[in-house]
Amino acid sequence: MNKILLVVAATVASIALVGCGSNDSESASTDTTTTETTTTTTDTTTTTAAKKPTEVKVVVVNGSPQGGIVRQTVNKDDQVVLVVTSDIADEIHLHGYDKARDVAAGGTIRLPFKATIPGRFEAELESRGVQIAEITVEP
Amino acid sequence: MRLLAHGIGVVRDLPIPAVYFYVGASLVLVVSFVLLFALWRRPLLEEHATGRALPGWFGRLVLSGAVRIVLGLFSVLLFGLTLATALFGTTTSLLNFAPTFVYVIFWLGIPFLSVLFGNVWSVLSPWRAIADAIVWLLELRGREARPVLEWSDRWGRYPAAAALFSFVALELAKVSPDYPRTLAIATALYSYWALAGMAVYGRDAWTRGGEGFAVMFELLSRIAPFAAREGRMVLRWPFTGLAGDERTRGALLFVAVMLGSTSFDGFSRTIRWQDLTSQVRAHLAASSHRTVDLAVMGVNLVGLVLFIAAILATYLVAVAAAEKLGGIRRSLIPDFVLPLVPIAAAYMVAHYFTLAVIQGQFIVTLASDPFGRGWDLFGTADFAPNLALVSPQTVWYVQFGALVVGHVAGLAIAHDRAVVVFRDTRRSVEAQIPMLALMVLYTSAGLWLLSRG
Repeated sequence: MNKILLVVAATVASIALVGCGSNDSESASTDTTTTETTTTTTDTTTTTAAKKPTEVKVVVVNGSPQGGIVRQTVNKDDQVVLVVTSDIADEIHLHGYDKARDVAAGGTIRLPFKATIPGRFEAELESRGVQIAEITVEP
Repeated sequence: MRLLAHGIGVVRDLPIPAVYFYVGASLVLVVSFVLLFALWRRPLLEEHATGRALPGWFGRLVLSGAVRIVLGLFSVLLFGLTLATALFGTTTSLLNFAPTFVYVIFWLGIPFLSVLFGNVWSVLSPWRAIADAIVWLLELRGREARPVLEWSDRWGRYPAAAALFSFVALELAKVSPDYPRTLAIATALYSYWALAGMAVYGRDAWTRGGEGFAVMFELLSRIAPFAAREGRMVLRWPFTGLAGDERTRGALLFVAVMLGSTSFDGFSRTIRWQDLTSQVRAHLAASSHRTVDLAVMGVNLVGLVLFIAAILATYLVAVAAAEKLGGIRRSLIPDFVLPLVPIAAAYMVAHYFTLAVIQGQFIVTLASDPFGRGWDLFGTADFAPNLALVSPQTVWYVQFGALVVGHVAGLAIAHDRAVVVFRDTRRSVEAQIPMLALMVLYTSAGLWLLSRG
């Protein structure tokens, strides 16, 4: 009985390991996209550093964010503007702050807000249910 | 509306700072060795599990038929409202009563009440109340309500584990689990499962083996300082209800679904998993909406199953090692299942505290306008939830505290059981090391998930 259990456990464990392994190979490519994203966002911050509000720029191509989910960390009480350019028409919704605005196909919208609530907040294409950005507000 | 990791929600926690992770893991490690070498050498929990009987009138009141009927009616009413709003209310999930009620008030509230006050679900379950009413009506007409088929103990808790898995799969794997019409179908299906099961196998048998929520809330209620025993209420030390072994078949799988699903919920919030699903969507950009959602759900399901399998595998390895080190010839699988229950409770607190506190406030508004039609039944439709009610620091302390308390409780229960199991063996100290290692692994993994956010 014990032996059977050991075999079962070992099999399950190895399946789990293989599973994690394949995740890792996936995430290798994930990591590269993340780095690209961070570089673009850093560029954004440096170019807009002169202006007061932090701009979070997202370009939506084919219904998903170019270069992966855009991540930006801001401090509490910062002025932030979420700028979304999209090739499809949808509603852009920022959760928590509950800001929403319609974007036309090929159009650009700006969602300005003051980061008064700490936490992590997702922006999404409302009708498609696709996450495009994550804004972290540090306390 | 997109799912926010756990069914519904608007704010997510900031990742817990790494220092909490190191402090928590080392704390549990130290406590485990103290328990191993310094503390009790004979079982303590079981003798305290009996507790002290509370005054007779208290038990008669709490367990009375009147309380049962009032709470039963109330819960059937709420159940009806949930089904009606899910079916006919607005499809904007945050403006509809059903999603917040199901994923926050019910799914987080009942475990909380169970841990504090005992098995409240036995009087709050709408399905149980409906079944009781049907039996009462049948008996009123002089007919006897008997199960159609005999329940077999071989099935144990496997049907309940399957039921719970379906719910967590809906909550964590499905895209848009908070869409009201989806919830309507799910509620109807689950009600059919609960009621048909009780009709076929009897109310008690199905409550113990088939109704997933009933099994889960009963397990959690063993943490509570209150319990009903032979028509009386007893007061006991918290966690003592988890002493002893758990010989019902499928109990391990059930607890693994509880633990695995909550930890997958944590993992699915990490950047790694978010980007993975985002990439799946980008790859399939040309495909239809339905195909993309199915693919994302498939990826999530694989993740969920892997987490449950990982819990099972690590537990089985630890048990096998303990059997070998202790020279025990029988299977020890049933002996260390219950120490996992406080850990499951701790994971729930750590992952869902913010959701409960923030999203829970919305029920005040939703109660006045459950269908999202602009009603104001109780004058609370304009109540503005405070999204900054708890500071990130408070959240971290709660998460950290819950995980450490849960794991220390789990360790103590496991140690108490080990004292019984390995009493006559020469290597009783060594034989406990695998289970302690398992507990430390679960704590570190839990804290790691919170620190990765």
